[in-house]
Amino acid sequence: MKRLKRTLAVVVLLAVAAMASELTGTWSGAFKVSGGDHSTPQIITLKQDGKKLTGSAGPEPGEQYPIENGQIEGDRVRFEVTSGEWRFSYDLKRSGEDELKGNLELKGVDDRRTAVVLLKRRT
Amino acid sequence: MRRLILSVHLSVALVGGVFILVLGLTGSVLVFEPELDRLFHPHLSYVKPSGNVLSLEEIGGAVSKQFSGEPIVAYLPSETADLSSQVILPRGIVCVNQYTGEILGMRTRGQSIFGLARDFHVRLASGDVGRIVMRWSGVAMLVSLASGLYLWWPGRRLGIGGGWRSVRFWFDVHNSVGILSLAPLLILAVTGTVIGFEDQASSFLGKLTGAGEASARQSVARRQTVPAAPATTSELISPQVITPDRAVAIARAQMPGAIPYRVQMPRYGGAYRVNLDLPGDRVAGGRNLIAIDQSSGTVIFSTRSSDLSSSERILATNEAIHTGEAFGMPSRIVAWLTCVIVPVQVISGLWLWLRRKRHARS
Repeated sequence: MKRLKRTLAVVVLLAVAAMASELTGTWSGAFKVSGGDHSTPQIITLKQDGKKLTGSAGPEPGEQYPIENGQIEGDRVRFEVTSGEWRFSYDLKRSGEDELKGNLELKGVDDRRTAVVLLKRRT
Repeated sequence: MRRLILSVHLSVALVGGVFILVLGLTGSVLVFEPELDRLFHPHLSYVKPSGNVLSLEEIGGAVSKQFSGEPIVAYLPSETADLSSQVILPRGIVCVNQYTGEILGMRTRGQSIFGLARDFHVRLASGDVGRIVMRWSGVAMLVSLASGLYLWWPGRRLGIGGGWRSVRFWFDVHNSVGILSLAPLLILAVTGTVIGFEDQASSFLGKLTGAGEASARQSVARRQTVPAAPATTSELISPQVITPDRAVAIARAQMPGAIPYRVQMPRYGGAYRVNLDLPGDRVAGGRNLIAIDQSSGTVIFSTRSSDLSSSERILATNEAIHTGEAFGMPSRIVAWLTCVIVPVQVISGLWLWLRRKRHARS
């Protein structure tokens, strides 16, 4: 009985740890704005803490912006990033073990654009 | 041959006319976008110059007080004494009186009438398909202008005759306006088509000027000097030692004579990023950028318009010519007049075609 309890506790702890670090890591990919010329690269560092998401995102490792309002609901991942004039709102879903796919809305002071994003886990 | 060219001129105009009309109408709005924007938002745009200009830190303090400490993304210092300064926040842009610190109001994010005009001008507000249609409309305009010149040449008629309802009147309007505005129309069509096919143009110019190598060298140099990626949000918001005003002073010292028009905070991008406008720089967009370390005040990297490769410079100049930015107000007025002429040409051409069709039937 004692052994079973111990095993169950380990399993529960491992499951919690696995869930907690589910999205934590570096993700990369690109997006192309609808009607745009070219793809914009994305390097995103995510840090999951329960249902909260923090980290940074940007076009290259040397140019990163903080993630704001990051939240996870089931397989849905949402967060926002402000890079100068544009506010990026990501609405992603897990489309595989190491893949996030979804929509991106970009809002400037007088413009609104949309894009499809695909991110893959790097680490 | 003449008949073939006429049929090309008519066919291209019939197929592409409506899109060329959209290019002209939206272009006429976009040329004076900043002025029109201020006209629609005078209370946010204008201030009465009085006394000394507050420092960026003081302006930021006033904004933070009003917006409960929401982080400042960037400062947009005033361009002229009677225009307000702006402060970018994640949720929108705050307009501030730089003399008193008074908050004039906030512009929230989202599409405005000007954003919509730009969307129609570039991609017919229809994504990738619209983008293709509009870039080929530029080519259609070029074909239309070249064929129009060919058709006009033998008679070389200039001047307007007949009553305004007569075929003669509209034929003369189409011919005379077309030939008098040919040069600026051609410039707008060529520069617009190059912008539409920028990727192809860039690759072609790169091969022609051998700029690929230079560009690669520059980007390697840049990569070597950028700071390492911050791993977490807390690293991005590590305490800054120097103020935004100090960062501006450092940037100015690096580029004497240049006017700073944007100061991005270290929280957003890892370092102070100061964009500067160099008077007489006939290239589109901000090409002068100095990144400054927030703790030590050292320049991490800088990019200048003089660093542009030949092909990048050609494309940036091309864009400045297209927008009318290249030679200031005179070239913007010419660009606006040219845009306004486009509907005249499309409508007069359509009218002539309809009359010709009706005449052929009867």
